[in-house]
Amino acid sequence: MTNAGSTRAGLGVTFCGAGIALAIVCLASLLIGAGNTGADLALATLLGQSSNEEARFVVYELRLPRMLMGLAAGAALGVAGALLQAVTRNPLAEPGLLGVSAGSGLAVAIAIALGSSATTLRISVAQLGALAGCLCVLAAARTRGVGSDPIRLVLAGAAFSGLLFALTSLLLLLDQRTADEIRFWLVGSIAGRSMDQVTAILPSMALAAVLILLVIRSLAALALGERTAVGLGHRPELVRLTVVVAVALLVGATTAVAGPIAFIGLVVPFAARALAGSDIRRALWLCLPLGPLTVIGADILSRVVVQPSELPLGVLTAMLGAPVLVAVVRANRLPSL
Amino acid sequence: MHGVDHALAFNRVPVSAPMAPDGTWLLRLPGKRSVLIDRRATLASLLLIGLLVITSILSLCLGTVTLSPGEALAGVFGEGPAMANFMVSQLRLPRLVAGLLAGAAFAMGGCLMQSLARNRLATPGIIGIDNGATAFAVASVVGMTVSLAPPAMALIGGATATALTFGLAGGAGTRGYRFIVIGIGVGAVFGSLTQLMLARVAIDVANAAFPWTVGTLNARPAGAVTTLAIGLLIGVPAGMGLVRSLAVLRFADPVAISLGLKVGRIRFLALFLAVGLTALAVTVAGPVGLVGLMGPEIARQLSGRGVPLFGSALAGALLMILSDLVGRMLMPPLEVPVGIIVAVIGGPYLLWILLRSERMTP
Repeated sequence: MTNAGSTRAGLGVTFCGAGIALAIVCLASLLIGAGNTGADLALATLLGQSSNEEARFVVYELRLPRMLMGLAAGAALGVAGALLQAVTRNPLAEPGLLGVSAGSGLAVAIAIALGSSATTLRISVAQLGALAGCLCVLAAARTRGVGSDPIRLVLAGAAFSGLLFALTSLLLLLDQRTADEIRFWLVGSIAGRSMDQVTAILPSMALAAVLILLVIRSLAALALGERTAVGLGHRPELVRLTVVVAVALLVGATTAVAGPIAFIGLVVPFAARALAGSDIRRALWLCLPLGPLTVIGADILSRVVVQPSELPLGVLTAMLGAPVLVAVVRANRLPSL
Repeated sequence: MHGVDHALAFNRVPVSAPMAPDGTWLLRLPGKRSVLIDRRATLASLLLIGLLVITSILSLCLGTVTLSPGEALAGVFGEGPAMANFMVSQLRLPRLVAGLLAGAAFAMGGCLMQSLARNRLATPGIIGIDNGATAFAVASVVGMTVSLAPPAMALIGGATATALTFGLAGGAGTRGYRFIVIGIGVGAVFGSLTQLMLARVAIDVANAAFPWTVGTLNARPAGAVTTLAIGLLIGVPAGMGLVRSLAVLRFADPVAISLGLKVGRIRFLALFLAVGLTALAVTVAGPVGLVGLMGPEIARQLSGRGVPLFGSALAGALLMILSDLVGRMLMPPLEVPVGIIVAVIGGPYLLWILLRSERMTP
C-alpha cells in the first residue's frame, strides 16, 4: 500500500478522462442523427440561436430524452454487471448472458398478455422477473462444479435465456396485441423514449444506489474469501441478497424501458477492472462514466451506420460485446475475482 | 481402415467361431461371410423407426381437417377424394418430408461434430454454425451485394462460422467449455448480423426472411428440400463409412494414430460432412440447431455404445416432425414455429446436462 496515493491519483485522472469523454459523447449524441437536422443546426438550437421549430423538436423531444436514457441505462447496466460479477466471483457474469434480462422480458410479456399496459407497473414487473432470474443464477452458481467454473455458469445462463426467449416468443404468438406492443421493445433500443419513461426509472435507481452504498464495504471484504469476510464481521448471505436485489432493481428498470441490451454488463466492468484494478469499489465508480459512454457511443453508431434508417442498439452492442467475450475466454487464464 | 479392423478385433469373433459375443447377434451370410449385429442398437433403431412411422401417419392425418389413416394413405397415392388428395400430397406430405430430412441432417451433423470434437455440447446449433448459415442465407434472400442461391450461401456461412470457432479456439482445444463459449460468441455476432440485414430492408422483404430467424417448416424455399435430399443421399453413406473411425477417435490422438487411423483426414471429412448437412438443413428449416444436440443424446441413451450415427438421424427426424406436429396442434389456427417448440423442449435438457454432468465427452 506504499503507492496508494499515486494509484488513487492515477484513478482520479482516469475517472476525469472518462468523464470528459462522456461529456463529448453526450454532446455528439445531441448533434448527430439520422434525420435532416444537421449538426450545425442542432448546435444553434442548443445555444438558443435558432427558431427552427423542427430542429427544436428533434433536439429537445427526441435526442435529449434518448441521451438521458442512454446515461441511465449505461450506468445501471455497467454497475449491475460489476456487482453480479463480484457476487458470483465470475468475470463473465453478465445480466444479459445469464438470463436476468430475459427473465424480466418474459415477466413483462406475461404482464402485457394479462392485460396491463401502465408504464410503472411494467417496471416493477420487470424487476420481479429480473429478481427471479438473479436467484436462479445464484442457485446455479451454488451447484457443485458449476460455480467454480466461470465458463460453465455462462453456458448454463445462455441455455436459460434461450429457453426464456422461446417462452416469450410463444407468448407473442398467442396474443397479437402483446406482440404488437413489445416486438420492437424486445430488440433493445433507447430510441423514441419519452421524458416520463426516464423519470419513471429514477426512483428504482436511487434505491439501488442506496443499497449498494450500504453493502459496498462488505462486498469488497467478500472478495477476500468467505471466511475472511465472516472473520471481519460481515454477513455474506445478507450481502449477497442485498446485491442481488440491487442488480434486479437496476436491470429490471433498464429492461422495462429500453429492452434487453446485451453485453454492456460484460464490456464495461471488464474495461473498468482493466483501468482501475480489481477492487470492486474503484471498479464500480469507474463503471459510472464508462457505462453511459459505451451505450451512448453505440447508440450514435447505430444512427450513423445504416443511414437513413437506424440499427437497433441491441444488435450493435452484441457485435461489440461478442468479440470481447471471445477475447476474455481465449485468455489462457481467466482473471479470477 | 485395415488397422481399425484389427483394433476392434476384440469386439468380434473369428468367422469360424460358433458363438457371438454378449449383446450381439451373429448373422451368417452365404459363403464364408458373417455380420455381427449389436442387439441393443438394432432394437433401438427398430423402436425409433416404429415411432417414426406412427408419428408420420399422425402428422398426415391431423390438422385443421382431420383425416382417417386410410384416407391419408389413399391421399399419398392420389386415390382418395380430391380434397384429401390435395391436402395430403400438396400440403402435409411435402412438409413431413422436409421435417424428416431436416431433422435427420441436423442430428447427423450434431453427432459427427460431437464425436470429432469429443464434446457433447459441440453441436452446430450451439457453436454458431447454424447462425452463420442463417446469416448468409438471409443475405442472399434480402439481396445483398454477393448473391448466390440460399443453399450455397448457407454452406459458405456455416463453413465461415466453423472456421472462426475452431480457429479462435486454437490453443484452448475443443474438449472444454471454452470452445463452446467461443462458439456462442461467434454465433451472437452472426445473429446480430442477421438482425442488421433485416433492419436494413423493407418490411415485406424482412417478413419474407423472418422464418429464417426462428426456424419453421412452413416456408421452405423451392428446391431446398431436393438439395437436402441429394446431400443426405451422399452424406448418409459417407457418414456410415466414418462411424468405425469415429469410434476410435474417442480415444486420445496417440492411441488413434497408433491404431492406424489417419486422424487429420477423418476429422476433416467428418467436419466437412457435419457443416454441409447442417447448412443444407438450415436452408430447409431455419436454425433449429438444438435438434442436433438432442437427437444424438436420445440415440446414445437408447443404443448404448459406439457412435450412433444412424440412430441419431432417426431420433432427429422423429424429434423434428413431432415438434412440428405439436406446433401445429397446440393452438390452431395459429401455428407455432417448430424452432420455438424445439427450444422449449431442448432448453431445459441442455440446462440439465450443464448443471448435472461431470463428463463432457460423448
